[in-house]
Parts: sequence; structure tokens; C-alpha cells
Amino acid sequence: MMSFVAKRVLQAGLTIAGVLTVGFILIRAAGDPVALLLPENATVEDAARMRAALGLDLPLWRQYLSFMADALRGDLGMSFRQQTSAVGLVLERLPATMELAFAAFAIVILAFGLDLMLRIAGSERLRKVVLWVALTRQAIPTFWFGLLLILLFSVTLRWLPALGRGTPAHLVLPAFTLGTYELALYLRLLEASFREQETHDYVRTAYAKGLGRARVMLREILPNVLLPMVTLAGLNLGVLLGGTVVTETVFSWPGVGRLIVQAVSQRDYPVVVAGVLMTSLIFVVLNLVVDLLYAVLDPRVRLA
Amino acid sequence: MKLAKHSRFHLDAVLGSALLLAFLLMALAVPLLPLYDPYEQDLMASLAEPLATSATRTYWLGGDALGRDYLSRLSLAARVSLGISVAAVGISLVMGVALGLIAGFFRGPVEAAIMGLGDLQLAIPRVLLLIASAAVFGSSIGMLTLLLGLTSWVTYGRLARAMALSLREREFVLAAITQGASSQWNIRKHLLPNVAPNMAIIASFEFGQVVVLEASLSYLGLGVQPPLPSLGLMINEGQLYLEINPWISILPGLVIFALVAGSQFVSQRFTPESRGDGGLSRVPTV
Repeated sequence: MMSFVAKRVLQAGLTIAGVLTVGFILIRAAGDPVALLLPENATVEDAARMRAALGLDLPLWRQYLSFMADALRGDLGMSFRQQTSAVGLVLERLPATMELAFAAFAIVILAFGLDLMLRIAGSERLRKVVLWVALTRQAIPTFWFGLLLILLFSVTLRWLPALGRGTPAHLVLPAFTLGTYELALYLRLLEASFREQETHDYVRTAYAKGLGRARVMLREILPNVLLPMVTLAGLNLGVLLGGTVVTETVFSWPGVGRLIVQAVSQRDYPVVVAGVLMTSLIFVVLNLVVDLLYAVLDPRVRLA
Repeated sequence: MKLAKHSRFHLDAVLGSALLLAFLLMALAVPLLPLYDPYEQDLMASLAEPLATSATRTYWLGGDALGRDYLSRLSLAARVSLGISVAAVGISLVMGVALGLIAGFFRGPVEAAIMGLGDLQLAIPRVLLLIASAAVFGSSIGMLTLLLGLTSWVTYGRLARAMALSLREREFVLAAITQGASSQWNIRKHLLPNVAPNMAIIASFEFGQVVVLEASLSYLGLGVQPPLPSLGLMINEGQLYLEINPWISILPGLVIFALVAGSQFVSQRFTPESRGDGGLSRVPTV
């Protein structure tokens, strides 16, 4: 078990180092920031002084090392536009993105509950309808789906606010937009896993003992089905995090994604890179947690 | 994957392919169609509803904010978006298959380097990687296509490598090696034909994903730049006028929806549901 954990943590550490390297390459590829930072009437000496202050006169490998060292201390540079740390700006927006992600997750859980209820009730046809709706949703780009929701619920019916954050009502449309995108994927995995588990002897035994349908489904099968779901959720977290960028832009949700998009239009590269890196780090760390959790839940994983 | 199962007539796969083919043909034929100039502005037709008429002509799908003929713009947008997506899928397909086969056939440090790069790329959500690189490297059409292609090879690469790992141990490959066949010959003549069908399936699914990615980037203002239209950009332009003329945002979305649905119909028919991973290998992207 310990060697599994050590190996997995080491792997995550390497990935994080790789992600940071990508960030360094992007920052350097963005070109000389001095031209962007200095006022129009700055002299060549001003530029040289600023370059020295930013460490840009050092050889590339020294710049790389100091970038990595700073990054490990939680410093990814200063925002060009606002004289604060880029990491600080991202952290400021993180709660809003978390709120959206959790709400979207709640939508997925609700859909799961619905699917399980229909499964216990034995209404195959209704379940098919739910799956088809989810499949159709999956073929719709997130930002366009969001717009359609705004058109229906904000513009036409005037039931829900379209833009911004604040009341719980503001959360409904963005969370629904984000939460439904991958629903089809999960519902299909749930279906495949249930079908696979139902062929096992323990299910037959449970029914033979006289257990009811609801009990067999919830107490016997469900725990086994949840394992692959956890993995899929971990893998697809990246999709969810990417999806927040588009969703936040559509609904003017003040999260990390919107910060990144705004920073791009202002050529504020440190903020762009900080946003992308920190999102990726969250992704890597959560995947690590999922894998370790998996090892706790399923002994076969840690022994393999 | 049993062949007999797939040789039967499947309505959804046929429908999906027909849809995609029809769109591709239409996109190719756009310059030949009797359309109006997609850049010509007529302020009288600004935000006109579909089927609006002026003294001289009919705006079949209305006009956009600048009074440009919407049907012409939408046709050109579909052509632009499809062109970018097809080229990007081509780039990622060639790159992924080549890298995957090389990794799986040669193994050792080459494999470690290639697959390590793939893992690293997967650690950064694809949309974010695209946004950051588009911000840094600019968003000309060529750069956008290249970036979309470069960020999408991993799916092909992983499966190609996995298949190459097992193929290289098979008798017909070993026999060829003992007879002095070069690695290059083996990869080209023995591995490539064997992975080709599966790569085509991935490509058919990825196509829909890349269409959405391109549209998302253009919607965010990081893809195709005005005055050139693209499906995502048109949705963005229409967002301001949702209350006045919702068609401007709805129609390009319908085109994207049709393309993605077509791509999913085609790929799903050939992906066995019973593989046990419930389609795990087909993770959507946006």
C-alpha cells in the first residue's frame, strides 16, 4: 500500500513539474513583457533596468530555475494590469468557480437519483427517455445550450436571472448548463456497470434470499457500480474545469474561467498562465486523491 | 468487435454519415452557390428576421447586426469551421498514429518520452491549454488549426500504442523481422493497416469534439477573427441581440448540433457498448 501511495505521489509531482514547465514556456513565448509594461515615453535605459529587475537579463536556464522556485513558493508573477500577484487574483475568483462546479455536481447526483428510482420502479421506457435527452444534450455545445436556456428562462419567461452571481437563483442556469453536459456519459457507464453486475452470482443469491428489488439495487449492486464512476468522475474533472471557462463567460459568472478569458483580451499573460496552471494543479491533485481513494475502496488496485 | 454485427444496415450510422457528407459537400460547394456577398452591408436589413424582403431581394435567413446577408454568412461560417476542423482532425490523426505506433513498436526511452508528453498534455484541460496557447501564439486560422491538431493527438496515440504493443509480438510481424524487414516497413505494412479501422472510429468521434472546440474558442474571441465568420463567432455576435432577433445565435448552434450529432451517430455505431468501460475512452471535451 505504501509503495503504491509513494509511486502515485511521485508521479503526480512529476506531472506538476511538467505542467509548470509548460507554463514557463508559454510565458516566455508570449514575448518581452517590458514593452507592454513600460509607458510610451520610456527610455532604453528604463527598459534595461526593468529587464534586470524582472530577471529577464539572465540566461534562460537561470530564468527557468527561478520560475520553478517561485512557483513552488506559490508565486507565478505579477499581473501586468493590476499590481498584485497573479496567484492572488486567481484565488480571489476560485470560490465562485468551486460553487459552480459543486452545483453542477449536484445536478449529476440528482440525475443519478432519478435514474436509480426509475430503475427500481422498473420503468425501462422512461429511463430510455432520460438517456436520450442526455445524449441530445451532449451533442449541444455548452455555450449554445447556455444561450438557449437564457433565451427561454430569462428573456421569454423571465423566471431566472441570466447574468452574474449572488442569489441562489443566479446559480440555477449555469449549474444546469455545466452539470448536464457529461450526464449521458455517466448514465451510460451506470447502465453498462449495472448490466454487468446483474450477471454476478451475488445478485442472484440476494434475490434468492428474498430481498426486494430496491434493497438489491441500492445495497448490493450500487456500491460495486460506484467504483468505476469515481474513476470516470476523476478523469472527467478536467472536462468539467474546462467547461467552467465557457459557462462562466456565457453567464458572466465571476470565476477563474472568466478571469482567464478577460486576461487574454488584456494580454495579461501572467494571469492567464496562473489561471491555467492552478486549474491544472487542482485537476492533478484531485486525480491523485481519487486514485488513492480508489486504492482504499478496492484492495485489488493497491495489490496490482 | 464482430464484423458481422456491423455489416448490417444501421439507420443511425447511415443518417449520421449522410448528414456529415451533406455538410462537407455543401461547404465545398459554397463558392459555387448563388449566394450574396457575405461582407456587403445594408443597414436597412440590420437584424432582419428570416424571409425579410427589401425592394430588390429576399434575405432568406434575415440579416445580422451590420445588415449582412445571414444565409451567405452562415454558409461561409460553416465552410470556415468545417475546414479548420477537418484539417485539425487530419493533423492529430497523423501525429497520434505515427507517435503511438513508434512508441509501441520501439518501446524503451522513445515510448517513455512520447507517452510522458501525452500524459502531461492530459493533465492540462484541453480547452485551457488551447486558450493559453491561442493567447500567446495568436489566433490566425492556420495557427488555430495547428493548435487544435497538436492538442488532440493523445487519444489516437494512446490506442495506437496499446495496439502496437500487442501487434509487435504477433507471428506475422516476428516472421517479417526474422526475414530482415525493416522497422519502418513493419510499421507501415503490418501495424498501420491493423490500427487503421480503430483510428477512423476515433477520428469520427473526435471530429465532433473538434468542431465544438473550434466553436468555443471562436465564441470566446480567441479563434476565427472578424470580419470572417465562424459558427462560434456568429453565436457570440448574436448574443447581444437575443431579445430582438434570437435567430442570429440559434442557427449556427443548430449547424454545430447537427455536425456533432452526426459524428456521434457514426462513431457510436462502431464502438461496442459491451467493451466494459461504458465508452470511457470517448470522453467529451468542452
